[in-house]
Amino acid sequence: MGFLTILKKLRQKEKEMRILMLGLDNAGKTTILKRFNGEPIDTISPTLGFNIKTLEHKGYKLNIWDVGGQKSLRSYWKNYFESTDGVAWVVDSADPRRLADCARELHALLREERLAGATLLVLANKADLPGALTLQEIREALDLDSIKSHHWRIVRCSAVTGENLLEGMDWMLDDIASRIFTLD
Amino acid sequence: MIFFNIWSVLHWYVRPFVKWFLRKTTRLCELQRICYGDKAGAQRTCNVEKSLILSRTKDVKEVIAFLDAVVVERRFIPENFDDILYPSISIIMRTKKIDNKLHPTFAPSFRQCLQQIWSYKQLIDEVEDLRCTQYDYQNSTHEEKLLKLWNLLQPHEPLEERISKQWQDIGFQGDDPKTDFRGMGLLGLENLLFFATIYPQVSSHVLSHSRHPKYGYTYAIVGINLTSMAYYLLQDGSAKTYMFNAKHYLPNIDLFHRFYCYLFFEFDKMWIESKPENIMEFSMIFKKFENAVRSKLTDPASVFRIKIEIDNI
Repeated sequence: MGFLTILKKLRQKEKEMRILMLGLDNAGKTTILKRFNGEPIDTISPTLGFNIKTLEHKGYKLNIWDVGGQKSLRSYWKNYFESTDGVAWVVDSADPRRLADCARELHALLREERLAGATLLVLANKADLPGALTLQEIREALDLDSIKSHHWRIVRCSAVTGENLLEGMDWMLDDIASRIFTLD
Repeated sequence: MIFFNIWSVLHWYVRPFVKWFLRKTTRLCELQRICYGDKAGAQRTCNVEKSLILSRTKDVKEVIAFLDAVVVERRFIPENFDDILYPSISIIMRTKKIDNKLHPTFAPSFRQCLQQIWSYKQLIDEVEDLRCTQYDYQNSTHEEKLLKLWNLLQPHEPLEERISKQWQDIGFQGDDPKTDFRGMGLLGLENLLFFATIYPQVSSHVLSHSRHPKYGYTYAIVGINLTSMAYYLLQDGSAKTYMFNAKHYLPNIDLFHRFYCYLFFEFDKMWIESKPENIMEFSMIFKKFENAVRSKLTDPASVFRIKIEIDNI
């Protein structure tokens, strides 16, 4: 039994999952993470570098990595791909101007070999803002229906009101669990 | 933890006896012992504050409530100090039986402490107001401030358009800085503006570091993260050491800005000295920096100055 196999077995025992939160700057990644963890969300600054949170949810131990989204940081995203079980791609629904940019980054991400097999949850954030696009509009703009390589789902949510956040996360965790913990 | 609880209960019962004993032996009340014995600045003012908070005397409690109410109305400003502090100090001196003729140095020293304590409290409220004010691109004053920041940092580069990639040259994330202020609101912009206005050489020096080909970072975004650090240090009282040791200034918004400038200058120094591999080390170095600042702030004797040396990195 190799070292990696032992590690894998250990990980299965603890039901640990590694989630990566990505998206353009100002999408609301840190706010979602803090909201999910029950922390105050009104004093957040732009993320330079990354934040990590370890939390328990539904009996799983989640390691959530929230990496800054500004352009100069995106080339470092790849440093965080290794053994990622799920990607939460956060979109600012109220920023139609940068949706094309957002689509391009997402599709480039999905071509990454090290993310093959990871579950993709698209969080259409800021749904509470006036002028926020509908789920269908974002689905089309991001060309989600062309994704065949990953299990994916899109959820319209708001980190400020908390709406749909848990539902989205729960779907992702169930999907990951059905994939990696089925041997138990 | 249990020890701590026992100690705090004991402290509550024992304190009056210790105070009574010291009063009888030194013939001075606790406030006098602090004002004469402790070094002026953070040490003296923090101890006076502690003594006032722990006081069980009705008159002292009333004076505290009165001063707190003045702060809520934002009237604790130098023009009003005589009207507000003269009666407050008289009441406390009468209660504590301090004779002004025998102890002429007490009142001025005590007054200085009161000025610092309640200016700090009012500053917390003022800073919170600025933080809660969202940057609004439809507000011409906000827009003017933003453009002024550009002109101060980039005097030889005119901004071609309001929405422009040029903003990234001074370290904003995209082509419109308005969303970068986020949770820090107008406070983040005011901090950056003060640094560029009052310390033009230091800020352009720091800005040039931020463009270092190997150790560069995003100036404005780091600045906004430092606003957040300064804000929390003010809120939890850690910044008292800095504010009360500032000899020529009372805690006010300008002093808060100066504190921010100090943090920016020191962070830049630590960043460059750390020789980071890339920008992703920011979270780690920022945390290390915060710990260093916090540990310096726990020493009431610390002084904080921007020491400018021209380096060639």
